[in-house]
Amino acid sequence: MTKRKIVCEGISKIFMQKGTQRVHVLDTIGLAVDENELVVILGPGQSGKTTLLRIIAGLETPSTGRVLLDGKEVTGPGPDRGLVFQRYTLFPWETVMGNVVLGPKLRNMPKKARRELAAYYINLVGLEGFENAYPHQLSGGMKQRVGIARAYANNPQVMLLDEPFGQLDAQTRYYMEKETIRIWETEKRTVLFVTNNIDEAIYLGDRIITLEGKLPGRVKSTYTVNLPRPREHTDAAFLELRQKITEETQLLL
Amino acid sequence: MAIEVAKGTQQDLEENHSGIGVFLLHCLKNRFVLYTLSIIGFLLIWYAIAVLRILGNFMPRPLEVVNQLGIMMVDPLAGRTLPLHLWASLQRVFIGFLLSVLIGVPLGLLMALSRPINSIVKPVFDLFKPMPPISWISLAILWFGIGETSKVFIIIIGAIVPCVINSFNGIRLVDPELYDVIRMLGGNRRQEIWEVTFPAAFPAIFAGIQISLSVAWTCVLAAELVGAREGMGFIIILGMNLSRPAMIIGGMVVIALTAWVLSLSVGQLEKWVCPWKREIH
Amino acid sequence: MAEVLRKNVSPFLKILPYLSIASFFVGWQLLVDLDIVPNVLLATPTQVLRLFIDKLTNENPDGAVLLVHVWTSLQEALLGYILALAVGIPLGLLMGWFVVAEGLARPLFEMIRPIPPVAWIPLAIFWFGIGLSGKVFIIWASGIVPCVINSFVGVRMTNPTLIQMARTYGASDWQIFRQICIPSALPMVFGALQIALAASWTTLVAAELIAADTGLGFLITMGRRLLMPDMIVLGMLLVGLTGFAIGILIDRVERRLLAGIRR
Repeated sequence: MTKRKIVCEGISKIFMQKGTQRVHVLDTIGLAVDENELVVILGPGQSGKTTLLRIIAGLETPSTGRVLLDGKEVTGPGPDRGLVFQRYTLFPWETVMGNVVLGPKLRNMPKKARRELAAYYINLVGLEGFENAYPHQLSGGMKQRVGIARAYANNPQVMLLDEPFGQLDAQTRYYMEKETIRIWETEKRTVLFVTNNIDEAIYLGDRIITLEGKLPGRVKSTYTVNLPRPREHTDAAFLELRQKITEETQLLL
Repeated sequence: MAIEVAKGTQQDLEENHSGIGVFLLHCLKNRFVLYTLSIIGFLLIWYAIAVLRILGNFMPRPLEVVNQLGIMMVDPLAGRTLPLHLWASLQRVFIGFLLSVLIGVPLGLLMALSRPINSIVKPVFDLFKPMPPISWISLAILWFGIGETSKVFIIIIGAIVPCVINSFNGIRLVDPELYDVIRMLGGNRRQEIWEVTFPAAFPAIFAGIQISLSVAWTCVLAAELVGAREGMGFIIILGMNLSRPAMIIGGMVVIALTAWVLSLSVGQLEKWVCPWKREIH
Repeated sequence: MAEVLRKNVSPFLKILPYLSIASFFVGWQLLVDLDIVPNVLLATPTQVLRLFIDKLTNENPDGAVLLVHVWTSLQEALLGYILALAVGIPLGLLMGWFVVAEGLARPLFEMIRPIPPVAWIPLAIFWFGIGLSGKVFIIWASGIVPCVINSFVGVRMTNPTLIQMARTYGASDWQIFRQICIPSALPMVFGALQIALAASWTTLVAAELIAADTGLGFLITMGRRLLMPDMIVLGMLLVGLTGFAIGILIDRVERRLLAGIRR
């Protein structure tokens, strides 16, 4: 019996804007993620998926419902969940090493130990040699790899990725998807990955949860991707699934 | 620069002809040739105005100014040579500037971090902001006399404003997502302020300090113009009272050079202190 | 942090600013009334107010009614300011586009730029005397620098794609300058308006403090000579108020003229 790592029960979220306007962003979302599963949340822009991820991360509180991590309710942000941001959000005043080492540093790990730990993850994401570079000297793909290393270095139980490759060009994006699978298979964690790109979803996910294309966001359907890894975008089965999802969600190609 | 590339295409189109005339024209369009022509022209016109007495005795010759500067370097005026006058001004600037930074930056930070303090201090601050620092000079002289204190007082009044404003805004404008990052990594409130707020606000604070220094220089001059016994402001006012334009212009040259050196040094300091700040052209 | 923005501001915080201002004035008044600071050195708010009302009609002891002082200062400042705009902005724009303009004007400009505006005062007084022309010259010299810089940078920042597009239509240098560079530079130019105004107003006050026989700066100096701290404070407050008022005026004009152009 695989352990259920993350459970969302009846999550909804209403934002109050300008004091009186109510924006209903999520409506009764329920989902479950098993341990070490890579689940993709797929939805177009303005479907509430980032809000959902932020609620699971603990950065927002749901208006109703709750999130359970290992059976315990999530009440706020914490190092047991690692978040990779869409805009990279690296500290520009720190080097790559400085950024990755941040989590352990906050938990008062001794200097030598935390630098070794950070070095391991910097190597894992393929950035060895760049420890002393500043973020502004790195390309988009490299910056995001720092973001991933930073999240990993804190040894979270769960990795949450919020459209991490949205700002990259197509080539780099394909490359990063491959890297993501490689890194995940080396250091297995439970992963929740948010994207608006169908190809990316099918390439990465064990399961794909699609959201409705408009607010308030609701779960539309779930797809199980049984293709063996490494997957090929041009594989017949891949394309078949792609066709199916496209038709059923009417998402733009 | 991109705009020059865009302009360049026009010139490429024109260069199908040959000949000395076109070559000369092309030279005249060269930036550095023009700079040189301009400087030479300027000096010539200045010289002509001085010699031909177009403005009467009001314009000294360029060389007279240089000569005067040389004299002032060695001969004391009102008890000091030129370098000592400059040092007198700079001393006041540094003291006033340092005090402004030590009071202004923490004040701005406090105002940004604490709502109550902001509500108390900001209205009074906004009340005083439109009053130019130099307008305080009469009160300052009334209270402190013509000595060092009144000058430093004026400097602080002027130089503290950019420190407060930039520190305040620097914190207000920190990207909120940076706080999300640190909270996800498990940081507490104290760590938020120490690891995110201060480093993220630092470039803005430093920019405020830069502005503050140049404001300080202006304030000390203004204060010295109104009432002083030494300093660069004193020198140019003395030149005015003695009807010696070479002294005035010479003094202005030193003042301008000092301002330039000050801003250059702080600019270099910034590169050393904030290596991550990208150049914005 | 996003959560913080949505909390309601406590009513206590809302009245705190007013409390602060009120206590400031009360404290000021008490400081002198209770003789913590002798009245020779500092006037009370009520004394300043009385002087204000008195000077609306009384020419003594400084030689002119308040309105005359305010008007003189405004005249000198605005005249110099407008002249600075009239010369500085076109010069800066031309320098940004035409190499000849930049080549010729830049060395002279770079020499003038580092000179703090107040440093022009002795030279201006020496050349022009204490009157209007001297002050206008000083204001002009101090206001011209930000105008040139901002206009220059504004033109430099023109989108090169627009220029290249105009070239494909066969537009001449001058046409591109007029139709593309100038409109494109407008936001920066308008930024200069406020900067130049602040510089102009401050420098004017400094100039009047040193050599004048009317004007708000003169009022401040007279207050010291006559040992009337209420006159000093009155002058200071009026300087602040007038500067603030023109600033708002320029801002309104700016908005009117820029309405429709997105900043």
